Amino acid sequence: MAETFHLRLITQRAGGGDPIIRERTLEKAELSIGRASGNDIVLTDLSVDPQHARMRFSGPGRVSIESTAGLPFDVGGKSVMGATLDAASRPVVRFGDFSLALEPAEDGGVGVTISRDDDEHHASPSVFSLQAKVFGRRNMAWVLGSGIFLLCLAIPMIFVLFAANPKIHPDEQWSTGALSKSHAFLQQDCKSCHANAFVAVRDQACLSCHAADPAQAPKALANAKRLGSPFEPLLISEHAEHGKLVKATPLPPGLGAKANVLIQRAFNHPTDRCASCHIEHTRAKGGTAEAPASDKPKLVVVQSCESCHAELKMRLKTTELIDTPDWSKHPNFRAQVMTQAGPSPKFQRVALDTAPQERNGLIFPHRLHLDPLGGVARQAINLGKGAGYGAALECADCHRRDATGKNFKPIEMERDCGTCHSLAYDRVGGQLRNLPHGDVNKVIATLAGRSISAPGGSDRTRPGGIRPTAFSGAGASAFRATFSPGGACYDCHTITWAGDTVQLAPTKLASKYLPRGGFDHSVPEHGGPGESKKGGFACADCHRAKVSDKSADVLIPDLAKCGTCHGKTTAQIAAADDADCTTCHSFHKPGQSTPKPGAPPLRTLRWTEATPRKAAGA
Amino acid sequence: MTQVGGHHTERVRQRTHEGFLRHKGFRWAQIASLLCLVAIAVYFFVAARLSEPPSGGSWLGYVLGTISAGLIVWLACLGIRKRVITSGHYSLKAWVSAHVYLGLSLVILATLHTGFQFGWNIHTLAYALMMLVIVSGALGIWAYATLPQRLHGNRGETTRKQMLEALESLDKQLHDLALPLDRNGAQIVRLSLEETDLGGSFWKRLTGSYGDCANTRALRQMKALPAPSDPRQAEAVDRIVTVLEQKADVLGLARRQMQITAVLEGWLFVHIPATFALLAALTAHIVSVFTYW
Repeated sequence: MAETFHLRLITQRAGGGDPIIRERTLEKAELSIGRASGNDIVLTDLSVDPQHARMRFSGPGRVSIESTAGLPFDVGGKSVMGATLDAASRPVVRFGDFSLALEPAEDGGVGVTISRDDDEHHASPSVFSLQAKVFGRRNMAWVLGSGIFLLCLAIPMIFVLFAANPKIHPDEQWSTGALSKSHAFLQQDCKSCHANAFVAVRDQACLSCHAADPAQAPKALANAKRLGSPFEPLLISEHAEHGKLVKATPLPPGLGAKANVLIQRAFNHPTDRCASCHIEHTRAKGGTAEAPASDKPKLVVVQSCESCHAELKMRLKTTELIDTPDWSKHPNFRAQVMTQAGPSPKFQRVALDTAPQERNGLIFPHRLHLDPLGGVARQAINLGKGAGYGAALECADCHRRDATGKNFKPIEMERDCGTCHSLAYDRVGGQLRNLPHGDVNKVIATLAGRSISAPGGSDRTRPGGIRPTAFSGAGASAFRATFSPGGACYDCHTITWAGDTVQLAPTKLASKYLPRGGFDHSVPEHGGPGESKKGGFACADCHRAKVSDKSADVLIPDLAKCGTCHGKTTAQIAAADDADCTTCHSFHKPGQSTPKPGAPPLRTLRWTEATPRKAAGA
Repeated sequence: MTQVGGHHTERVRQRTHEGFLRHKGFRWAQIASLLCLVAIAVYFFVAARLSEPPSGGSWLGYVLGTISAGLIVWLACLGIRKRVITSGHYSLKAWVSAHVYLGLSLVILATLHTGFQFGWNIHTLAYALMMLVIVSGALGIWAYATLPQRLHGNRGETTRKQMLEALESLDKQLHDLALPLDRNGAQIVRLSLEETDLGGSFWKRLTGSYGDCANTRALRQMKALPAPSDPRQAEAVDRIVTVLEQKADVLGLARRQMQITAVLEGWLFVHIPATFALLAALTAHIVSVFTYW
């Protein structure tokens, strides 16, 4: 058995080409392996110990390798401290970068081929350039781009187009800003207003909660509740029929503004929608990041009144309205005068300067009642303060303000006339019995079969008693007497007889002569309570009641009276005020003045507060 | 005008960096400034007269928005344009010049388009991404205007290839010097040879913080090693310390090159991905606005 090691050392040339091979034969039973130059096998690798291992024959064709430094080496991919190997199986032992390949030699010894891995790689100057594997430019670009596309467009769009009642609302990120507080409950429900994709918000969406049309109003209120509105929606009437509005509205002045409207129309974004004036998703003036919302949608005035009403007749032939280009051309008042009283009265617009006469059926001379030296005044003084009089009559003795103070309650005969004009016809046990007022048939039924029981004497008894002449005509029935001269009804009602049948002219008092105007009697300068500016008016300054002998006289003042203050400067009159259309007319309710911005306050529209507010007549 | 690496640096600096900013006597700077001035003047004239609060939804908003969106798409096309080699009137230099100045003008145009209404929504996201693209682009302009000179000043007469060769040569010296050392000494040298990371991660390059550099540690440990009794080993240790110090110097020089290069190229790692994100957000912005018109 030859104990001979045949060593072949293979070294790669630095410049490439055939490797250098050095061969050496060692007839030794044991070889030392290590980095130190004294070893039999020198492995110039710093991971190899100076004296790393020993290799010796352990049998025919067999060698055993033992670590002497306490450092392992590698056999067949396993890290070991020692190994006995059969050269015939051509094992490879690795120390660091070096590999020792064993094979049987012809002489019975063992051949050991020593080679070194050439793992040297040369850094290229490209190492100076910035590289990023995961966060490379291209990777990041595609991930971010497609991520945003998916999350911000594709997914919300799928929800918009295909989800009926989604639990999440990815389209909320599309909101351009907070909704006003009144609509905040719809913040997540974009489609309640934006009903159709790519179609601008239509009036239908607004009217589904705000329609004032009596046929739709209950449904609108119910819809608002169903959508979860904490507020009762304000029911909104259209300024006029929409078709008429479209026809009557001219293009705005200015080339740019015209182009703006036409382009918007061309792109199916018309400017005559509710949403054209009532803007949502915009920050309130002075709003902060925390409280960006205002109470109600921002109102944007896109048309002035005169832009349509200056030449209305030209665009809208059928209109009854008179063109009103400005205050100075405001038509004179044409009072709505009753031409026929009764249960279904008829009205006609009549210019005030033609001294219109109203057929209201009532006999009432204002002059007589307001004469400070007349009998009425005397009677009022006699009635005294205890009865609410005590002096000559004033307007307010009969005309009583309503709860708002803006207008007056309708005249009620018993309350407003009855203190003097007694309806008493009998006295039973010290209690006066009054005729029912308002229904002639009831009066007839009450008096049927009665005869006169009045005491004789002067006709000027204390009011509240039974007037002696009220039932005059001895032997006549109380019924006939009541409706005859001197009778209780005769003073005020126009009575005709057809045989035994009494006929009263139907009576109806006008409540408003100018239903399209919002005159406010509560303004101090309009005779309302409170401190009036100098030049303010009292009742008699406008209403010429003191010289009116007939109730048929229409006693509202002419427009010129308004012009005393409106449109004047404070230099001309202290009570000067603006002459703006909105002072007397509002867009949605032309018969009322324009509400102050923000009115009514949002809190008063809460369902719980809305009902009492309505009951109060506000 | 994206790849400025290695030996190209000098040429780019000479030919382009002054070139694209001053192209044709600042023609595009003048056009962009004029555009901005007109936009500002029109905005402040119109905004006060608009019936609604200024926003992207007014007519002026639509005009500014259309111009801005068109500009963004055109600016993004530089990525395509730069890959096509042409010459003449619409040279790449002219494109880059217009890209820079029109891109900067978007700060004004798009801000006016918003009507100063911002919120947590896709629209403001698109705006924020646009600003990110512009700011990173501005950083790029600054980098191209200043850094090539610093790169040059840093490396002196040494080329990058020479730096790498010097490192390789020093490593070979270290290896050979360490052969007689004992296990401890050899381990320390291996630390320098095997663990030293020349460039390192994105952030290491940008910040230039190599506090845990293996070569530095090896040097420290080698100096702390008790002097070997064997004079041959003792001499080897002394020489190794010297070589490690030389290596540290070369590493420092190369890494400063890398840091400057990183800043020179790093802005693109924001500019390009943010541009793609912006294009997606812009699409979502436009489509969503008209979906919920």
